Amino acid sequence: MNFIESVKVAVNAIWVNKMRSLLTMLGIIIGISSVIAVVALGKGSQSAIGKEFEQFGVNRVYLTTNWRENPTARDYFNYGDLEALRRVFSDKIVALSPSLQDTGKIVAKKELLNINLSGVNEFYNKIEKIEMLEGRYLLEGDIKAKREVAVIDENTAMKVFGRTNVIGENILIQMRYRNLSLVIVGLYKTPKAPFSNVANFEQPATVYIPISTMEKILGIGDRIYGIEMNMEKDVNVKETLNDMVKFIERRHDNIGEGKYRTYTAEGELEMVNKVTGILTTVVGAIAAISLFVGGIGVMNIMLVSVTERTREIGIRKAIGARHKDILMQFLVEAVIISGIGGVIGTVLGIGFSFLISMFIKVPPSVSMGTIMMAWLFSAGVGIFFGIYPANKAAKLDPIEALRYE
Amino acid sequence: MIKIDNLTKIYRTGSIQVEALKGICLEIHRGEFVAVMGPSGSGKSTLMNILGCLDRPTEGRYRLDGEKIEELNDVQLAAIRNKKIGFVFQSFNLLPRMSALKNVELPMMYAGIPSKERVERAKEALQRVGLADRMHHKSNELSGGQRQRVAIARALVNDPAIILADEPTGNLDSKSGKEIMAIFQQLNEEGSTIVLVTHEADIASHAKRIVAFRDGEIVEDRAVENRTMISGL
Repeated sequence: MNFIESVKVAVNAIWVNKMRSLLTMLGIIIGISSVIAVVALGKGSQSAIGKEFEQFGVNRVYLTTNWRENPTARDYFNYGDLEALRRVFSDKIVALSPSLQDTGKIVAKKELLNINLSGVNEFYNKIEKIEMLEGRYLLEGDIKAKREVAVIDENTAMKVFGRTNVIGENILIQMRYRNLSLVIVGLYKTPKAPFSNVANFEQPATVYIPISTMEKILGIGDRIYGIEMNMEKDVNVKETLNDMVKFIERRHDNIGEGKYRTYTAEGELEMVNKVTGILTTVVGAIAAISLFVGGIGVMNIMLVSVTERTREIGIRKAIGARHKDILMQFLVEAVIISGIGGVIGTVLGIGFSFLISMFIKVPPSVSMGTIMMAWLFSAGVGIFFGIYPANKAAKLDPIEALRYE
Repeated sequence: MIKIDNLTKIYRTGSIQVEALKGICLEIHRGEFVAVMGPSGSGKSTLMNILGCLDRPTEGRYRLDGEKIEELNDVQLAAIRNKKIGFVFQSFNLLPRMSALKNVELPMMYAGIPSKERVERAKEALQRVGLADRMHHKSNELSGGQRQRVAIARALVNDPAIILADEPTGNLDSKSGKEIMAIFQQLNEEGSTIVLVTHEADIASHAKRIVAFRDGEIVEDRAVENRTMISGL
């Protein structure tokens, strides 16, 4: 008996026991659909996060002192370092800015608005995308003269003043128990909150002020806590960063002491991907348990089917069916049940992932590879759990089987 | 056609040994119609199973159409059952929910005969047993006599060396039984070698030769003198 005929016989057997076959498939359907949904959502969130990072800038790096190594006055960056870096690595850096972050509150009409204060220089808009709507970004003059000016975003303007034509207005900011009054020189478009595609959480707006002004307010001398950079596109970010750290270590005479830490967008992305990858694997593995249970269901029903059809097996053997003919017949039946279950499960799984994505804002990513994998896996489940019952059928003694009532 | 020599079959269940066949010697030639008779437990069913290559003898030799059966492996035995033996059982043993035609096609499926030829030959075989008009009926829609005729068609469709019929009229009323015996006689006239197992003397009297069994031994082997002949279907 050839393969096509085995398939015909199997399809017939499945069709004769429609209800039973369907219930058996249900186990596979649930298993495959949950695995597909989990993997689709996992991959979807990975690609969504990846896109966020791309927007943020893949070649962005951050250089800072390593607090864990107890940096002393000797170790901190200074403006000399900044200039030296700019000079030595000029062909690799797009822009470079000292960066000092603090939090504060803007005094609005009735309330206090939480904000981030970001002390940066005139090049920072080449590192972070700052889309100006009105006025101007910080200028060299603002930095040199330590002017008390600020660049705020549209949303903050609306919250504080109820309008957007606010250039020249003063805002009052509370910062470390001090009140300072800043003149607004520029208004930028409020960026989409990071990961707004993935989750909803509102973050405080950022107010940009000259780094020198910030240092004056906080009473910091010629000391830089962090340096932000944007590297050229084709630069090997990791290598260049290592070179930079070595360069600075030489200047500070602390080679190999690990006083500096570096962060790259790429590195952060890798870490996030690792975490989401592990999560997807774990949840997927839990979902795969249901697939395993479904497989046991297939085996169970196939065993029942073999017992029920003992006499049929005897007849087939008496008229010339070989061991492998009977084996094939029952194996094909198990694989078809699992295969059809796999197809239905795949369709349902894709459906589920789109349904869930409506609530958690993750666009599901269903690749051909995932579908092929799920399908092969369900066929594999059919073979794995079908082989025992099929072998049992094939090994039946024809005389015994013919006597079976 | 069939030559068995010193055929012995011993069943062992635990410490108990049952000698079902005690060194049987028997020869059946092409074109014979032999009835194997005997009460239950006489060893006739055991002989039938061994002749049908469903079981292996404990000792002895069995030649079927020139093949040394005791030397063959399971796959080869399946091929022998398929091509050289046609079974007819007491309880018909058709596959339910399958049409008569499909049932008759089944041995040819295992023989690897292409679909078109299968259908042609199955139709022809059903015609020989007078069931051409019922070939698309499912086996559970047929009467006992009709089912047994489908079974005979299935047995002869691969043109076997022998047809083995085990109490083929046992589940039938006497009229249907007569019809079945008429078909066997006709097939024998057309050249088929038939071995019929029965415990009924009047059924055995349709054959040309009777081999009687008792306690695992042949006690009688004679030609039938007043043979019951049924003509026409």
